[in-house]
Amino acid sequence: MWRVFGLMQSVVEFDNVGLRYGTGAETLTDLSFTLYPGSFYFLTGASGAGKTSLLKLLYLAHRPSRGAIRMFGHDAITLPRDRLPGFRRRIGVVFQDFRLVPHLSTFDNIALPLRIAGIQEKDLKSPVTEMLDWIGLTERADARPATLSGGEQQRVAIARAVIGRPEMLVADEPTGNVDPEMARRLLQLFAALNKLGTTVVVATHDIHLLQEIQGAQMMRLDKGRLSDPTGSLRHPPRPLVLKN
Amino acid sequence: MLLDFALPAHDRKLIPEGRLSGPMPWVIAIMLFLTILIAAMGLSLAYAIRDGGNDLAQQATVQIIEPDPIERATQKVAVSRLLREIPQIDSVNSVPDGEVRNLLKPWLGNDVIDADIPVPALIDIRFKNAPDGATVRALKLRLEEAAPKIRIDSHSSWMAPFFDLMSSLILLTLAIFMLLLVATSAVVILAVRSTLNTHRSTIEIMHMMGGTDLQAARLFQRRVALDALLGGVVGFGAAAAVILTLGGRIAAVEPALLADATLPWYGWLILAIIPLAVMCLAMLMARWTVVSALKKML
Ligand SMILES: Nc1ncnc2c1ncn2[C@@H]1O[C@H](COP(=O)(O)OP(=O)(O)O)[C@@H](O)[C@H]1O
Ligand SMILES: [Mg+2]
Repeated sequence: MWRVFGLMQSVVEFDNVGLRYGTGAETLTDLSFTLYPGSFYFLTGASGAGKTSLLKLLYLAHRPSRGAIRMFGHDAITLPRDRLPGFRRRIGVVFQDFRLVPHLSTFDNIALPLRIAGIQEKDLKSPVTEMLDWIGLTERADARPATLSGGEQQRVAIARAVIGRPEMLVADEPTGNVDPEMARRLLQLFAALNKLGTTVVVATHDIHLLQEIQGAQMMRLDKGRLSDPTGSLRHPPRPLVLKN
Repeated sequence: MLLDFALPAHDRKLIPEGRLSGPMPWVIAIMLFLTILIAAMGLSLAYAIRDGGNDLAQQATVQIIEPDPIERATQKVAVSRLLREIPQIDSVNSVPDGEVRNLLKPWLGNDVIDADIPVPALIDIRFKNAPDGATVRALKLRLEEAAPKIRIDSHSSWMAPFFDLMSSLILLTLAIFMLLLVATSAVVILAVRSTLNTHRSTIEIMHMMGGTDLQAARLFQRRVALDALLGGVVGFGAAAAVILTLGGRIAAVEPALLADATLPWYGWLILAIIPLAVMCLAMLMARWTVVSALKKML
């Protein structure tokens, strides 16, 4: 199957976006880029460069201080608050600190997005079981997050983010707590989701990961600014043809 | 949908339900126990003085203090006839002399009564509505034409201090009731806030995954309502046990001075509304607290 990116509608468009926490200096400055459906992006940069802040804009946890953001073809700045839940359900998020619900079992944590979306109980057993198998935690289906290791919690967080087959997946340092072998497995999971059409954005400072995904693009943040040496983020080569 | 108990089981898991584990149901139970008791007291007193009191206040006794027995008898007949013609008077009951003597026996002793000392002629009357002082005075003037030495004792006049006391007590119970309701509301509000703090992260996670404000509010509200309901049931049960026990003791008191101070059936309805009202308040507070907390998030 051949995909022609240049003819596709964008998933996300940032235009001169700035983000300022409180009254300090801007944490993110002059961000302009476009994310296309089915693409895979790595967001890199030193600690404190603003990766998490940029992802928060992507998963609609924050509104920018200035600039324009379009998401799924809608102006995300002026979107009324009551339409945000519908947009959030199209985005899967792996939080840097996992944010699992402490009193829910592994199974119930992974099933959470499906339940929020109103999926019937009979229809969610098989995808959740399948996902548990993928992340190798079938045995721990009934365990609470507190009894899982850091790496296991991270896998649960990732499973929860991808279970709903989101149109966009945003992951903040998703392989920070797992061994290299598991990191590769998790990236394969992202890649598989990406093949199904999900736009993936992975923030990481692990350079080795970048080689794992063929055709992935790199976004580099430096002190809140996006360095775009090739200009491909602002002006992607079009038509860009990628073989799946 | 305020009373949304029909949540699927898996939704209920998101915010674990206390089942009398936390302090909130117990505190609500204690507050409701006190609130219901004081409400029952107020209701019983109000009921006693409205029904019993009205009854007494409608009655009066006419005395003809005439030493000559023949004259007294004719005056009694004349006064009775006059009384029967007055439209404000509902019933006239001429008390036979023998009964009057019996009434006086305990006070004056058998010997005195058996001797032929004069006793007043008594006529019990009942007004259609409790009479005021002016009515009684006008009646007296009118009756004096037939019997110059006449006295009218309206029961409301000697009962007045008793009713004043009762009214003060009712006002006091009302004030305590209101204070307890305010305190209960405060407890509910504090409990809702602390529950929100406990579950804030869960609510935030749901929010970030596209849960709506209403989904979160419904979960939360259900949990809080269950807590309040459990507290309400316990508080109501304990208060009902006390009320029934006390009611039995009151009924056993002789003479039946307090016979009317028991709770009428509709009083129980009012008491049952109190825990339900507190539950609704808790749910509304829960909904409002969650929605306003979520409104601060994007
Ligand atoms: N909620 C916040 N309030 C104030 N400053 C923040 C907040 N979140 C992040 N920052 C600041 O913004 C900068 C970028 O942080 P972050 O986006 O977490 O970077 P990274 O994820 O690349 O390590 C840091 O200097 C951090 O202190
Ligand atoms: Mg970060």
